[in-house]
Amino acid sequence: MDIEELQSAWTQMSNELNHQKKLTNQIILDMTKQKYQNKFTTITKYETLGAIICFAIAFFVLINFKKLDTWYLQVCGILSLSFLIVLPAIVLTTLKRIKNIDILNGSYKDNLKLYLKTKNRLLRLQQIGIAVGFIGLVFIVPVTSKIISNKNVFLTSLKTEQYIIFAITIVAMVFFCKWAYNGYLKVTRSAQELLQDLE
Amino acid sequence: MQKEEVFTDLIREHQALLYKVTSIYTDNKEDQEDLFQEIVFQLWKYFDSFRNDSKITTWMYRVAMNTAITFVKKKKRRPDSVSVADVFSTQSDYKDDVLEERLKLLYQHLQHLNTLEKGLIFLLLEGKSYKEIAQITGLSDSNVGTKISRIKKKLKTNMTKQ
Repeated sequence: MDIEELQSAWTQMSNELNHQKKLTNQIILDMTKQKYQNKFTTITKYETLGAIICFAIAFFVLINFKKLDTWYLQVCGILSLSFLIVLPAIVLTTLKRIKNIDILNGSYKDNLKLYLKTKNRLLRLQQIGIAVGFIGLVFIVPVTSKIISNKNVFLTSLKTEQYIIFAITIVAMVFFCKWAYNGYLKVTRSAQELLQDLE
Repeated sequence: MQKEEVFTDLIREHQALLYKVTSIYTDNKEDQEDLFQEIVFQLWKYFDSFRNDSKITTWMYRVAMNTAITFVKKKKRRPDSVSVADVFSTQSDYKDDVLEERLKLLYQHLQHLNTLEKGLIFLLLEGKSYKEIAQITGLSDSNVGTKISRIKKKLKTNMTKQ
């Protein structure tokens, strides 16, 4: 086989391919849509998982709410429930909005701008969430302690090891929040770069 | 006509071009389907930025080949892809046995070339002039000429070996 033969085989193949129009409009649109949605799959997975965990804890607190037998434990319970339900619900709503962006109407650039705007709102929400999370510890610890081991932490003095566990939890939370927040920054930064790429 | 319609018509009209780019840069059907989708997505992404200062096919070649080169670099399988199995012809789809055999040989020879060489020989096989190849790849006309003659030599050596 020489170069000329390569050329002739290629031309023959091209001619045959030109007669095979197998793609339909629907397949083309599905390909486009799916590739777009794949860009947000990872973050959606983590956020959905986080929301499910929060809802599960909220459900656990809710079914055991009657165990909170004093007014201040009930206040802590209500605050914990609000924290566990409201924040993930807002996050999920924002995600839904991102997923519902109709990429086939409007330009990719406009859609990406809309995504970035929504994502930045989500980032601010996460900042609030981190702050609330630390305050939330003050509510959640008495609630879970009462529900799981029937102990009212407001009335019992904490032992040294309990203080240590509390401190470790806070340190772990600081690291976790830092990691999670950096993850968000990375995602928004990459979206920003995508956008600049189109300028 | 709506933008969406213009785009799908364009892809349908030039699907052979996309198919050929994917066949050059991949060695299995899964990667080929994946690359095909990625190219369609990239074309959609940059569809608004296409200006009529070059031929639409020149722009399509450029986007398709850049996407293919990036794809080869990453070579990452994406798990959830639209099933487009029926879209792709396999070598056994060709009714002409002689053509089938020649294509098999052709792809075998092309697999010995590196990414840039594959791209250049692909455009040459597509019947593009050096000037057009230069436009698509961003190389200078003379550089294209030099590189292509080297590739031809390389191919010839490979062919005589076999």
